[in-house]
Amino acid sequence: MKPKQTLSWKPFVLSAAVLLILFPFVYLVLLSLASEWRFPDLLPSYFGLRNWATILGSEAGLLESFVSSLLISLSVAMVSTTSGFLISRAVFYHPKKNTLTLLAYFPYILAPVVFAACLSFFFLKMGLFGNITGVIVAQFIIAFPYALLFFSSFWNKKVKSYEDLVATLGGNRWQTYIKVLFPLAKGLLLICFFQTFLISWFEYGLTSIIGIGKVQTLTIKVFLFIKEANYYYGALSCCLLIFPPIVLLYFNKRYVFKKLV
Amino acid sequence: MSILQKVPFTILSILVILSCTENPSTNDEALKTAPWTEIAQKAEGSTVNFMMWQGSPAINEYINNYVVPSVKEKYNISLKISGGQGPEIVQLVMGEKQANIQSGQVDMVWINGETFFQLRKLNGLWGPFVGQLPNAKHIDMNDPFINTDFQQPVKGMEAPWSINQFAIVYDSARVQNPPKNLQQLTEYLERYPGTFTISNDFTGMTLLKSFMAELGGSPNSLDGPFDEEKYNGLSQKLWAYVNGHKKYFWKEGRTFPKEQSKMGQLYANGELLLVYGFSEGGIEEKVLNGLYPRSTRGYAWKNGTIKNSNYLGVLYNAPQKAGAMQVIDFLLSPEAQLRKANVNGMNSNTVLNIESLSADWQEKFKTVAKRQYGPEMKQLEKNAIAEPAPEYMIRLYEDFRKQVIEK
Amino acid sequence: MKNKSPNFGIILFIAIGVVPFAAAFIYALLYSFGVIGVANKGFTTEFWTSVVASGEFFRSFLYSLLIALVAVSISVGGALWSTLKFRKRLEQKFLSFVIYLPLAVPGIVTGFFTFQLFSKGGFFARLSYQLGWITEASQFPDLVNDALAFGIVLSFITMIMPFFVLLFLNVYKNERIEALSVLAQSLGANAKQVTQRIILPILIKKTWVLIVLYFIFLLGAYEVPLILGQESPQMLSVLIIREIKQYDLDKISEGYVFAVMYTLIVSAAAIVLFLPKKRRTYET
Repeated sequence: MKPKQTLSWKPFVLSAAVLLILFPFVYLVLLSLASEWRFPDLLPSYFGLRNWATILGSEAGLLESFVSSLLISLSVAMVSTTSGFLISRAVFYHPKKNTLTLLAYFPYILAPVVFAACLSFFFLKMGLFGNITGVIVAQFIIAFPYALLFFSSFWNKKVKSYEDLVATLGGNRWQTYIKVLFPLAKGLLLICFFQTFLISWFEYGLTSIIGIGKVQTLTIKVFLFIKEANYYYGALSCCLLIFPPIVLLYFNKRYVFKKLV
Repeated sequence: MSILQKVPFTILSILVILSCTENPSTNDEALKTAPWTEIAQKAEGSTVNFMMWQGSPAINEYINNYVVPSVKEKYNISLKISGGQGPEIVQLVMGEKQANIQSGQVDMVWINGETFFQLRKLNGLWGPFVGQLPNAKHIDMNDPFINTDFQQPVKGMEAPWSINQFAIVYDSARVQNPPKNLQQLTEYLERYPGTFTISNDFTGMTLLKSFMAELGGSPNSLDGPFDEEKYNGLSQKLWAYVNGHKKYFWKEGRTFPKEQSKMGQLYANGELLLVYGFSEGGIEEKVLNGLYPRSTRGYAWKNGTIKNSNYLGVLYNAPQKAGAMQVIDFLLSPEAQLRKANVNGMNSNTVLNIESLSADWQEKFKTVAKRQYGPEMKQLEKNAIAEPAPEYMIRLYEDFRKQVIEK
Repeated sequence: MKNKSPNFGIILFIAIGVVPFAAAFIYALLYSFGVIGVANKGFTTEFWTSVVASGEFFRSFLYSLLIALVAVSISVGGALWSTLKFRKRLEQKFLSFVIYLPLAVPGIVTGFFTFQLFSKGGFFARLSYQLGWITEASQFPDLVNDALAFGIVLSFITMIMPFFVLLFLNVYKNERIEALSVLAQSLGANAKQVTQRIILPILIKKTWVLIVLYFIFLLGAYEVPLILGQESPQMLSVLIIREIKQYDLDKISEGYVFAVMYTLIVSAAAIVLFLPKKRRTYET
């Protein structure tokens, strides 16, 4: 099925798209290394590691924050992907599945920051305030409906008939999951894991309210700089935020891409 | 479906049950009169939570690399920093009050007059405690810029940490003769259209207060309690001035930057040529780390710009009040204040009355390196005015939106 | 549904997915009527009256709706086009990694980056200056914090279009569209018919839930409009947070009025959209 025409426009468009996608990453790294760069200069007058040295020197415990972020995001991704998958089966095989799906949309309607402002009272009352458990629970509440809806298209007649087949052949539930459902959903599970990981990794508003700045995730630590006047530090913070997920993506790609795309 | 219908009622009843519990039990009244040795003893070994704005590496460097290790070494106090400024602190206090939490999450906070007013309104601060601090004797409590916050007497409810003045900031390489009154501002705007704006936040409203004082005819025209009639008259003139010149503002006045930090970015990338801010404009650090051009300079408005202090407070439900007092006392010590004045670091003016210190400390403070770019507060002081009553701020916020932004 | 576990699943679903939302909603409702809230004095409808009278909510709602609609339409359209045209090439190893990259960029970074590029003193303005197109920063076109929300829409598109490309590619594979297309072709359908009658309907039908989801998500977006929006009208979340965090503590309840109104309207829309009339012809 090779394209027949010798001069195709597609490679050009694709190359342009690739450049467009890569450009922000390169630009952010350059901006984090720059200084004294303002209109109308096309290139910065300073280029070097000064900004990095300043931030790494003033922000004690960056590594600690990194580890706690990783811990929180992995837990949230793990729990919400698994529970989302299992519970979505119950929901989408249920006779009232349309009503139930509708309910799952509601948490999206309130933006997370607003949601957090309204929920903080309950978290305070339950003692889930200002600690890692509280943050994980809060982020899970946001990530769970996403995971649940994510699997909505998975539970169809075809899958159901596979399940019935296993049952007919004498397999138990455990075997149904291990032998049939998980392998079938492997690709979706990985994307969902990645997406919920990101939801948690980048979560700021909710985390800062429920964790009241005491749970110092990496996002909490560096997020502030993005909004402050010094955009060189802002760019640096952006780098710290986006490169860990990219590394994760890179190491995962063998698994993710074999099954998908 | 029945489960679904029951949900709201269950939640409602939980809500009702949750909201009526507990009674105040911890009594820290004794700390307000106890001898300092007793307080220090109580503070030893405690963990103190300090909520403060963390958006500046210079401030974070001072706190993380100097204050935290120092209080650990001197008093065995573990100081934990959490991020949050005015609105977050107010939200936290409101939330904890609502939920009736007796033992709060945060012990001490860094606040300015805006937040002080809100916290006082909520009874969110504990005190008076400042009189108990040994280092408070070096602070001149008769200085009106220290003992009065937004026209409200401080009365020991918050300890001053730094003092500063609002300054106008401009790029001397691109602007000659920057404006010092409203008439000159008109000339400036016609000459450099699109390079000036008013941020829709605390900083922008503070500038408007200066303008309003000028329209009132004298530096003290807004002093005293809130005067509705005076406000109406002056604000009308103010909006007439702003709307009359809007077309020369940034983006022709169709929108305004949300925050001062945004305005700083616009100045840094060359879009704006005239900005302003507290801490004498915050020029030094921004030039040193390459954000602002080296030609940046600062000055005061002829009719005066606002001078005020920022403070440290203890929250009403702080679990470690003694520990918080110990940390605050350390932050007021000559040692910590001198370090904070470092022009290459946090670079903020001390609240200590230098004359009251021992000779060698006086010497150290007097020989602190001078700023290279930003103005010293001493140079601006003769044009300093006090912060007007908080109601002016509330009204300006509201009317700036109604009369200018939405017009 | 022979054993009990589905019901257990439903209970869990209600506990995690529904209860917190309902709790938050009731909290906001009580707050909006002044029943709770430290600075409030008891039940009152004054906050509702003043919010409804100001009309700001409706302007803001319409504004958000338009922005979200434009951004979703362009993103889905662009993603469909890319999927149809580039499906084969996007499966290559390198490209398949690259198209995942935008997913790792959160809204705040996108907003920050867009501002750095498109502001009047930003990268493109400097480029234009060097090329001699402009002589002053203020001559550069208004692309961020602008009235037409160009910056916001652009950011939204870069955020969600890559996701839709991935989604469509995945559905294409899972639903065996390839096989169906071949079958249709062998039955005499031409390329256009295959696209219009088979590929597009299947892709849309399989993903419309997620499309609506992202629409709602953009409607409530916070960070991007915070950085790239203008001061009036503002997008809904920015407006709500502004009111909840406002300086005048006596008026905080107005923020909750906004939150409740927003929730009610979008809920109503969601009910109309998702409570299906009859069984759909295409079984999901």
